[in-house]
Amino acid sequence: MAKWVFKVSTFTPVAVADTANFTDEGYMGLMGGSATQRIDISDVYLGGQATSSAPTLMILGRDSTVQATPTALSTGNSNAALDPATAALAAPQIAFVASTTKPQRSATLAGLNLSYNAFGGIVRLQLPPGSEFKMLGNTAALLGEVSLSAYTGGTPGLTGAHIIYEPF
Amino acid sequence: MNSHRRHEGYLLIDNRFGPGVTAEFIRASGKDAPIVTEGQRFESATMTCAHCGVVVILNPDRTRPRHYCPKCDRYVCDNAGCGSECRSFDKLLDTMQEREFLKSQSGSILLTP
Repeated sequence: MAKWVFKVSTFTPVAVADTANFTDEGYMGLMGGSATQRIDISDVYLGGQATSSAPTLMILGRDSTVQATPTALSTGNSNAALDPATAALAAPQIAFVASTTKPQRSATLAGLNLSYNAFGGIVRLQLPPGSEFKMLGNTAALLGEVSLSAYTGGTPGLTGAHIIYEPF
Repeated sequence: MNSHRRHEGYLLIDNRFGPGVTAEFIRASGKDAPIVTEGQRFESATMTCAHCGVVVILNPDRTRPRHYCPKCDRYVCDNAGCGSECRSFDKLLDTMQEREFLKSQSGSILLTP
């Protein structure tokens, strides 16, 4: 298949504990487009945009409650194939930052702590082929949703981020 | 000759131009994370466990050997279940995906006696 990039130009992550509802526009979420869709996350980037010290506990984690009725991405945010020639998917994956039913980060499933200071900080995670952060389907039971969000503590600051992934 | 390092990812946390995060901040969160203080840059390899799919940030100072699964020919993490027997995470995902395919097809396949 082809690689896609989910980009949020600027947002202030809202710190929430595990298994608590995310706040709209305060996180990034990625979910499979069907029960059988696989997604491999290969690249995550966070760039701090805060204008004063903002220690931010960013977590790339699996969700134990998945979203429902996502809101379409607004200006400045996008989810598109890296190659413009990429064919449309029958069941496109869902990239979102807001939804009616709020997702919740799992307290037990695998996650990655990407803490940094959004005042001038940068985080970059690259995973090689075969070692990606893998997702399956579109339910919590199947590991079907992953979020990039802030954990309780600190003073999360303005951030720009992208997630590069491959659905298949 | 292949090296296991080909499976390694790369993590960069760059706080060279900012105040960074303090050890107290990380400890208070209760989460395990690299401590990258003011003016520091942290670079490390990551490893994805072949048995549970967790991405582990490798501690550059670790001297103990890491667990290895000869069947998967991959490193596995320190979780108790991962080092004991071979349970490939990729195979688990394949099985779960296959089950979902079969579920979605149930009722639409004609079985002849």
